Amino acid sequence: MNPKSYCEIAKGVKLLCMNSDKFKTNFLSVDFYVPINEHFAALNVLSSLMGHTSKNYKTFSSFNAKIESLYGADFDTSIATAGEKVRFRFSVEMPDDRFSLDSNKISEDAVDFIINIISNPNCENKKIDEENTKREIKFTLENIEAEKNDKRAYALSRLRQLMCAGEPYGIDREKLEEDVKNLDSTKLYNAYKNLLETSTIIITACGSLSEDMLNAKFSAFVDTIDNRKTQTLENIYIEKADEIRYFTEEMDITQAKLVIGLRSGMTNAEDDYFAFRVMTDIFGGGPYSRLFLNVREKMSLCYYCGARLLRDKGIIFIQSGIEEENYQKALTEILNQLDIMKKGEFSDEDYNSSITALCDAFRGVGDSPASVCAFYNSQAFDKELVSGLEFAEKIRAVTREQVVECANRVTVDSVYLLKGEGKDNE
Amino acid sequence: MNKIREIKNDLLNDSYFEIDHKSGFKIFVYPKENYSSAYAVFGTKYGSIDTCFRVEGNEEFTTVPEGIAHFLEHKLFESEELDAFARYAKTGASANAYTSFDKTCYLFQCSGNFEKSLEILLDFVSNPYFTEQTVQKEQGIIGQEIKMYQDEPGWESLFALLRAMYHNHPVRIDIAGTVESISHITAELLYECYETFYNPANMALAVVGNVTVEQVLEIADRMLKPKKSKKIERKFQIEPETVVEDTIVRNLAVSMPIFAIGYKEKITTPCRTLKETLESNILLDIIGGKTSNLYEEMLTDGLINTTFDIEYFEGFGYSAHIFNGESTEPEKVRERINKEIEKMKKQGIDKETFDRIKKKHYGGFIMNFNDIDSLANALIGGYFNGDGLYDQLEVLESITLHDINNRLNAINIENSSMSIIKQN
Repeated sequence: MNPKSYCEIAKGVKLLCMNSDKFKTNFLSVDFYVPINEHFAALNVLSSLMGHTSKNYKTFSSFNAKIESLYGADFDTSIATAGEKVRFRFSVEMPDDRFSLDSNKISEDAVDFIINIISNPNCENKKIDEENTKREIKFTLENIEAEKNDKRAYALSRLRQLMCAGEPYGIDREKLEEDVKNLDSTKLYNAYKNLLETSTIIITACGSLSEDMLNAKFSAFVDTIDNRKTQTLENIYIEKADEIRYFTEEMDITQAKLVIGLRSGMTNAEDDYFAFRVMTDIFGGGPYSRLFLNVREKMSLCYYCGARLLRDKGIIFIQSGIEEENYQKALTEILNQLDIMKKGEFSDEDYNSSITALCDAFRGVGDSPASVCAFYNSQAFDKELVSGLEFAEKIRAVTREQVVECANRVTVDSVYLLKGEGKDNE
Repeated sequence: MNKIREIKNDLLNDSYFEIDHKSGFKIFVYPKENYSSAYAVFGTKYGSIDTCFRVEGNEEFTTVPEGIAHFLEHKLFESEELDAFARYAKTGASANAYTSFDKTCYLFQCSGNFEKSLEILLDFVSNPYFTEQTVQKEQGIIGQEIKMYQDEPGWESLFALLRAMYHNHPVRIDIAGTVESISHITAELLYECYETFYNPANMALAVVGNVTVEQVLEIADRMLKPKKSKKIERKFQIEPETVVEDTIVRNLAVSMPIFAIGYKEKITTPCRTLKETLESNILLDIIGGKTSNLYEEMLTDGLINTTFDIEYFEGFGYSAHIFNGESTEPEKVRERINKEIEKMKKQGIDKETFDRIKKKHYGGFIMNFNDIDSLANALIGGYFNGDGLYDQLEVLESITLHDINNRLNAINIENSSMSIIKQN
């Protein structure tokens, strides 16, 4: 299993099917990629709606009973952003056919089900069902609101909005809420049509699913869509931050959340990606990283403090949970560690630990159908597919000097603190 | 001598090895062909509920501060020289640990240097090193971990429910304890807990993935020293059948009230059998799962959203059927669930529903056999409960509609509590 590329089965439709008999299950994801645009709010509602009901399964119970009859298959719909791209996903994982208790093929049934769901939302006369629309708008609004229940995620989301306010990626949650409130069944239908007609479709499968079967079924599905013309998908990279912006917000919370957004200096997804990956890992990856060893272990300031690189935007996010009164201390130490990276004052041991850990992790990406698919799926827009082993080799080839060079391209963009209500400023 | 037994399953076409190691430890090895990673977990049957105990032969029971099992988990990573994380950094393994109500587990996953990483795991878990100074340092870090959880409404809602349901059972206390309780932890107390619970009879090692029995035994033979097994006596106060409070409300920053409703089970023995657990999982799916009438009706009426979930929550001396989710009218949700349970008791459960849900659980069983991490943890958890990894399939097959109806009839809606987390 070492695929070199996705296969284009129709214009703007790519398929990758990886066969392996080592798993007990099969996994399939069907992703529709479009730019973040005026349909984004509607797509949020549609993703929820199409995961709950359809024309052929009009109630939650009939929809879910069908999934249960597929031996409790794990069916899901989701919407996510990858930079300025929206990924609208349908996925299913099911027990392999050899575990079927009758003569039915679980895998083919599951593929038919997923295509049926994609092709037949609950609609009539160019409108999504009214009752469904209303209910799903309510769920979506609740879902957006619920973001503040998870304080770590909320703080990160707030920083993302503030830091990237001028970029489509920095989706404003309040505006999104407003947009969702203003939706109706026609707008939902139009968003659905637009998705089918303009998206780049990426189909990824792993297990014993037959490539010919998938090719035939999905080609037939795409043939049913008239006027397909895919939109260009491009991400915006901002190379440098001019100055550091500081934001403080309040909420009724026990522990303050500190989030820092850095512009890595990357100008596209391929731009020194592996070196930036290693740099971010030495700085704030595993328990061997500078942030973990100093902010947590040495200074006992937090339970978690880590950094991760967003390849699709060239942004590095740092997250930590701290006592509010330790804000300055934590911030100073985090920036001090970044400075150490820039000066190349990290040890050979720091560098070696990171290379060893990353290589080990990438050599082991192939141990579940879902993780195999996720790994290749994340490369669907790259020039060529790289296997876990090749990925590890590219990581190993990164030198200390390259790491220091990358660190010196990093600028601090925004610092965000979510603190308890009614307390004095730091 | 090591005693090795192969346990096979024809349906899965898989097998694993159960080893009585000469040191007294139980070891499980589950080789997975063509896998590139291995996952190892070394666990002890010692969790947050073990707050009062004695070793057989001792007269006095020892009561320890809440959260000490979790504290010990953190501290065991340290040694006089390099801490375990620094040692793993040389092998590249990704290491971690967790403490639950009834066990503490240390684990790593790797695709290379397996032998060296296993050596580190067995070595640091076998060699405690605590000083007052390192204990103090950890109080700051764990203090922040406790505070992090206090901001998580789902977590707070579960513990509020447990405090409402349980009078005495220590399942009602937070796994990590409180900032106050962990301030009483000393190096000496940590050593006492370690000596009690970290002994062969109370521990097990499970390794799954790209490994062989020989590889594991070569290291285990070298690293695991025979140690006297101890019989541990845990002391629990008698837990009444009734609940403490009907409803408990806590204020946190949430977008919509979060609720958890628990039906406390009347139990006469401390542990649920595998059959009882599976029956309850099936029953909960029938009452409030995604294909149930209750779920459909409450969604349609806007009483719940799709976060609504069900859980059979059980362990040594406690068990409850739990329904949780988000609602602006949690009291109404509770009323509906109560009504549905009573209605089902009168009408009985229909065969078609039962068959469909059973098929789903059969599929769920199969789907568990891909992931090396869930398999390794299931081996340890099953062993501590006295179950084999493949037992579930046979037990599932044996469950009848009659069993599920019996299980349903045992639910007493009087002995239930509800926790609500809402905005101030």
